[in-house]
Amino acid sequence: MNNKKNTIRNNRALIFAGRNLKEMTRDPVIYIFCLAFPVAMLALFAVINHYSGGKSPVFEFPSLIPGVITFSYSFIMLTQCLLVSKDKTTSLLKRLYTSPMKKIDFVTGYALPAFVLGMIQTAVCIVAGYVISLFIGSGYIGFGRCLLLAAEQLPALILNVFSGIIVGALLNEKSAPAITSIVISASGILGGAWMPLDTMGGFESFCKILPFYPSVYLGRIITGATHTPTDVINPAAVTVYSFDATGVISVIVLSVYLLAAIVLSVVTFGSMMKKAD
Amino acid sequence: MCEIRTEKINKYYGQIHALKDVSLEIEENSLFGLLGVNGAGKTTLIKILTCLTDPTSGKAIVHGFSVTDEPDEVKKIADVSPQETAVAPNLTVRENLDFFAALYMTDDKEYINSIINAFSLGEVLSQRAKTLSGGWKRRVSIAIGMISKPKVLFLDEPTLGLDVIARRELWKIIRSLKGKVTIILTTHYLEEAEALCDKVAIMAKGKVLAVGTPEELKNMAGTDNFEDAFVKIAEGEL
Repeated sequence: MNNKKNTIRNNRALIFAGRNLKEMTRDPVIYIFCLAFPVAMLALFAVINHYSGGKSPVFEFPSLIPGVITFSYSFIMLTQCLLVSKDKTTSLLKRLYTSPMKKIDFVTGYALPAFVLGMIQTAVCIVAGYVISLFIGSGYIGFGRCLLLAAEQLPALILNVFSGIIVGALLNEKSAPAITSIVISASGILGGAWMPLDTMGGFESFCKILPFYPSVYLGRIITGATHTPTDVINPAAVTVYSFDATGVISVIVLSVYLLAAIVLSVVTFGSMMKKAD
Repeated sequence: MCEIRTEKINKYYGQIHALKDVSLEIEENSLFGLLGVNGAGKTTLIKILTCLTDPTSGKAIVHGFSVTDEPDEVKKIADVSPQETAVAPNLTVRENLDFFAALYMTDDKEYINSIINAFSLGEVLSQRAKTLSGGWKRRVSIAIGMISKPKVLFLDEPTLGLDVIARRELWKIIRSLKGKVTIILTTHYLEEAEALCDKVAIMAKGKVLAVGTPEELKNMAGTDNFEDAFVKIAEGEL
């Protein structure tokens, strides 16, 4: 009996996920922000770095790819919050609240398609980086490391997916994208996608406790990226990212944010359902 | 047979007493109208009957199920077409119907096709919902409400903001549903309630002031005009 109930519940979550996937993929915003924009950024930074003599390690593919992938997830968050807030505005959610769907069906149904789209985005970034590397004739990250990188980025993706649900549930269709645009900017700057945070001492320490940089840092360990040189006496000295104390902190920080986002999204959605009265 | 019964329902929002001892009995397969000015408590009552909110006190039974103790059962047999257009905008009309049918585990293609025919949705079936006019969206919204084969259907201001032609078209559809499902209709349009409803409850300030057929209410108010009867009753002149 319980198994049957669970199957029906899973079905409802999957049915809702199917609808959400259609809604998301039929909105042109997703192709512009989630696919075209990250690829354009990759191309831009790689080309600039190539023609300026490859002097910035942060723009080398092993550093750039994890940075851009983590940054791009903020657009998944944008897409997610837009969908949730629009569903609130059109009263579709109110109608669905009167259906046999449960809180967990709603959250799962919203999270699944965004997660799938984020995975596709990750693959597109990695493949696009490879194609660009062929054009400019530079080396690229090995296939095995690329797979590991995609796996390592999953917590950051899930964090953004659930954050999108929280923002969409809390805010309306107009204010949700505005708040998310702040997160997008913060993700780019404080995530160190194109800023050598590792040369910034105290500021880097601050970024370590925010949800963006840890994922980039761990990604760079996997890709074998090199730190930006800070040794004035021997500027050619190369230090590779390794699983050091910062790596450990990154794992802890990311785990805490991830857990908080999942719990908060369920709580927020539950409270939104109650507020329907 | 009584399909919906409420007994002394009270609802407080903080200090605001939104519903005051509301007791109603609604017959199975009848079309029952809830009439009242803004703030009368119609929407609050519908929210309680659709399990969106709990009453502060009192009892409500829908098709034999308690809204507070058996909300899952109530949700299986009741559906609602909200005031706003509650359709998935980027899905086609067909996909909207299929989506809701799947949610309610209704795998009856013949029934879905009968709804498409009854609501004359054939010509817009492959159109995305967001491209439809207001009248068509409402029509789709009510069709979605019927897709779960509900025993009770709540129509919250179904013709609000529609032009006369679109409103009359929807009236035809609502009339066609009479006798097949219990319909609770809230509306501001008195002529709509008079034309469609078997019985009407007039509400004001959270109270049910009168219940009866439009004719009975006119007789009660001593007038030939339903609007005059409504004003007299709602303003407490009786």
